[in-house]
Amino acid sequence: MITGTFDMNDLNIASTQSTPGIQTDFRNGVLRMHGDSYPENSFEFFGPVIEWIESFLAASSDPLRLELRLIYMNTSSVKAMMDIFDMLEEAHGKGRAVSVAWHYDPRNERVLDLADEFREDCTFPFDISPDVA
Amino acid sequence: METLDLFSLRTHFTRNRILLCFNGPISRSLIEEIGNALRNYLQADNALPSAAMDVFSIYIEMTQNIRHYAQSRGYGELESAATVVVARDAEDRYMVQAGNVVERADGAVLLARVAELAALDKAQLKAAYKTQLRQPREPGASSGAGLGLIDVARKSSLPLQASLSEIDENRAFFSLCAFI
Repeated sequence: MITGTFDMNDLNIASTQSTPGIQTDFRNGVLRMHGDSYPENSFEFFGPVIEWIESFLAASSDPLRLELRLIYMNTSSVKAMMDIFDMLEEAHGKGRAVSVAWHYDPRNERVLDLADEFREDCTFPFDISPDVA
Repeated sequence: METLDLFSLRTHFTRNRILLCFNGPISRSLIEEIGNALRNYLQADNALPSAAMDVFSIYIEMTQNIRHYAQSRGYGELESAATVVVARDAEDRYMVQAGNVVERADGAVLLARVAELAALDKAQLKAAYKTQLRQPREPGASSGAGLGLIDVARKSSLPLQASLSEIDENRAFFSLCAFI
């Protein structure tokens, strides 16, 4: 629902076994995703996320921050996520403040490997930090 | 009617240290349910979190590849079947093996692709993965466009093994095995 001049349709998608939970906060420029991601059709699933980011980047000049607690991702989710990071990279190239903060459980180093491979291709601030027990 | 000798089937499973097996039409929800069972078995088997995730990940990529293939070829429900086995080998590695019916020509292409990937070291596989990740998506494609097989090869601790068994003049059974 549009409730003010600066609000737009925020996403609030509950997680399922194979898809992450997604919450957006247009007012504060934050997008959160958490959980496992291995839907059969990842492009369909991530479509609304990509649209939200596009709208946010077009509608304001405020910073955008992605807070991620993604765990396992299948390769089609990885490809969709790379499209998302490419959008951030492009915005960053135009001087926009964008950042990623990826939190992971240090007991599973595979999540660190996953996040780190994404970070290799990004020049904007991309923080990967283990949760403290 | 002769019934199956379940005891000898059980003995076969036990001797081959089969943790989980499935044979038949595979749906999206079945992939998830079997995946759940697999995660529970791996936990009960005291697998390290990283090994459990690698096994699960290979299982997902292999079975989703089979589903995407069946859809791309317009196969019906019964034809989009998969045979999946997760077992442990003599060196205590996990073996994830999955197979499906393919057009013979497609099977030959797949075998050649697996052989190519099997010849690459980890750094070369990573480069191949990143290159594939940057390939433009085919119109209407729902999958990761060939990424899955490279990902499986990257996660396998030994080169992938594949085989093709002829069924008739048009079709063959393609089988792929990865090790963790």
